[in-house]
Amino acid sequence: MKSHSDSLPPPRLASWLISLFVPHELSDSISGDLLEEFSALVPKSSVVVARRWYWRQTLRALPHFWAEAFRRSPWTMVPAILGGFLLHRFSSGLSDKFLAVVTDRYLAYWSAHFQAYLWLLKAVPLAHLIGSLFVGCMVALAAKGREMIAAITLALIPCALIAFSLLWLAQLWPMQYSIPWLLWQCADPLVIVAGGAIVRSVRSNPKTQLTSS
Amino acid sequence: MPDCDYLGEFEHIVLLALLRLEDQAYGVTVRQEIELRTKREVSIGAVYATLDRLERKGYVKSQLGDPTPERGGRSKRFFRVTAKGLAAVDRTRQAIQKMNEGLDLVGSYS
Repeated sequence: MKSHSDSLPPPRLASWLISLFVPHELSDSISGDLLEEFSALVPKSSVVVARRWYWRQTLRALPHFWAEAFRRSPWTMVPAILGGFLLHRFSSGLSDKFLAVVTDRYLAYWSAHFQAYLWLLKAVPLAHLIGSLFVGCMVALAAKGREMIAAITLALIPCALIAFSLLWLAQLWPMQYSIPWLLWQCADPLVIVAGGAIVRSVRSNPKTQLTSS
Repeated sequence: MPDCDYLGEFEHIVLLALLRLEDQAYGVTVRQEIELRTKREVSIGAVYATLDRLERKGYVKSQLGDPTPERGGRSKRFFRVTAKGLAAVDRTRQAIQKMNEGLDLVGSYS
């Protein structure tokens, strides 16, 4: 007979976080252990208690693996993050430079097709985000097995710079920055993290693992 | 890593749990054994991060078991203490014993 706990999956988001953050080699064992205890806890207590336990275990596991990633492979993590930071600095100005070159070279064309030029201007921020996504992917590729930890650590650097500049701006010109501007600043770190999540998801997928081996 | 490396508190506890559980030591049982005996909540992340570190030091060896349906088809990772790990447990225990010698904690500090 199938029990209630057999059909009840653990919180999906928590399971996904575990699969993203835990090192590749331990991911299956830890997910299995958590599922085993979760399934045993449901009939003993309640679904709510079991789900809360699962979330607590997940959230408490993440800092341990964060610290362990740097302790275990500092010579992979630190260069990957520093390289990612430099690549991000380099790529963040590329879209503006590209726009300047294209505008100068085809000035006559843009004068005749001003609407197209406006579209090009709108595409610049998108190009910037694609560049950040690329950086997130590259850092995750370099930090094999600890993709999300490397990508999030890299994303924390622009976050810290944003926080610092906000404090600085707030002192100089109080309330001079708009909410869209703030959201735009937050988009960059989020896209870096998304790049890490994409690489990790592809690597964790059994089908792609089979193909690559 | 120097040979006379002492164990941290949680490393020591995890190794003692492995010794108690013998061939039944995997994430769930280790975590539950520590919770049962120390009466403190332990996260599976702390257990695995410590076991991973101990394995790198050569104090522990791990081996994957067969996948089971109650674990969603995932395998258990069984751990056992190596001779080097056993020596480290003994060394740490002796060090703690020597530090405790002659101390009357209840009498002196209560």
